[in-house]
Amino acid sequence: MTEEQKAEAKKSWLQAVRETIYGMAAHDMSRAALRTRASMEHLFILITMGDLLGVPVLPPYYSLRLLPYVVPQIATWKRRMLREKDVADAMF
Amino acid sequence: MALKDVFLQHPERRYIMFGGGGGVGKTTFSAAAAYWLASQGKKVLVFSVDPQASLTDIFKRDIFGKGPVKIMDNLWAQEIDADSHIRGYQKEIRQKILDMYGLPAVPEEIERYIQAASAEPAMEESAMFDAVVDVVMKGDYDYYIYDLVPLGHALYYLSMAKVYDEWINKITKLRQEMREYEEMVSRLRREKESEQDQILQELLYIKNRINTSAGIFTDKAKTAFFFVVIPEAGVINDTQKAAGMFAKFDVPVAGYVVNRVIPHALLDQNIPEYLRRRIAMQDQHMGEMRKALGDQVLALVPEMDRDVTGLPMIEKLAAIMFV
Repeated sequence: MTEEQKAEAKKSWLQAVRETIYGMAAHDMSRAALRTRASMEHLFILITMGDLLGVPVLPPYYSLRLLPYVVPQIATWKRRMLREKDVADAMF
Repeated sequence: MALKDVFLQHPERRYIMFGGGGGVGKTTFSAAAAYWLASQGKKVLVFSVDPQASLTDIFKRDIFGKGPVKIMDNLWAQEIDADSHIRGYQKEIRQKILDMYGLPAVPEEIERYIQAASAEPAMEESAMFDAVVDVVMKGDYDYYIYDLVPLGHALYYLSMAKVYDEWINKITKLRQEMREYEEMVSRLRREKESEQDQILQELLYIKNRINTSAGIFTDKAKTAFFFVVIPEAGVINDTQKAAGMFAKFDVPVAGYVVNRVIPHALLDQNIPEYLRRRIAMQDQHMGEMRKALGDQVLALVPEMDRDVTGLPMIEKLAAIMFV
């Protein structure tokens, strides 16, 4: 094995170690970060462009009419929102 | 054509609106038109959709939030109290929640939502226009005279109605599709008829309300919309801009009524230069208006020598408007 080959082998070994450590420690984190980034993006569009997606921009006067029907859903809805609490916190 | 002829030739136009910028005389003309129609033997309701309504001042009667108040034979006036309307409405919503779920009290977060929604700036306007639907739908009167909010608000309401109409169509369609799936499931499970979708019913109700109140503005057969202007450059410019926008929403503009015209008879008297200049200025603006609008200018109303309040002054004004 020449010096050059040795250096090459060492380099690729180091590369493999680096990738393994990344895979073990950081991959999940970066995936989670990307997912968070994506849901922030969605949240942002939802807030600004809600009506494009059909999110109620109903006059508040009339949205009150619908309130009694969604009372049971409010709890589940809150749970969903709370799951994303870190996202909302980051934004507001 | 004169203002009177518009009414005589189109008796089917039962919804009369006077629109214009702030302080041009919308309320005064609404009151005068109501007076004239009532004196012709028509049953008339003049009502205000402006939270800063001033029918109370004009008729010198406290009518705020009291429902239709009889002013004289054939003439009723009404000022809608948006705040108490909203409070009553909130109470209704709360009661419905309590009844539907047999709760002893409205859950805190729901109550917070009710409070927050009612603090929205659009709440009062929506409440007002919604209340108007009830007033107009009863159909107790031959004529309904709208003492309108200043132009900007009216335009805002019209555009709001259009946006909401589109949105409600979208959401209603979604709801209907959801309903189809629901029915499919209950067929597969061989269940009896699935429950009526109450949210869908509410959406259809809301759609109907918004369409009815906005629809009156654009009903060519039954509505006559008059612009009130005063012969001043700023007011005329604003009105022209508004007229362009109203045209986009298909508001049937019946004509223009000019208020606060300084009487030409004054020129024969010994009057200060200041007044002569104002008269010359008004003449110039009037000339331009006639060129642009032709016979759409229906009446010229002089600057009165005192406030138009109380029935005798309203009568005097009506006699000038409807010659």
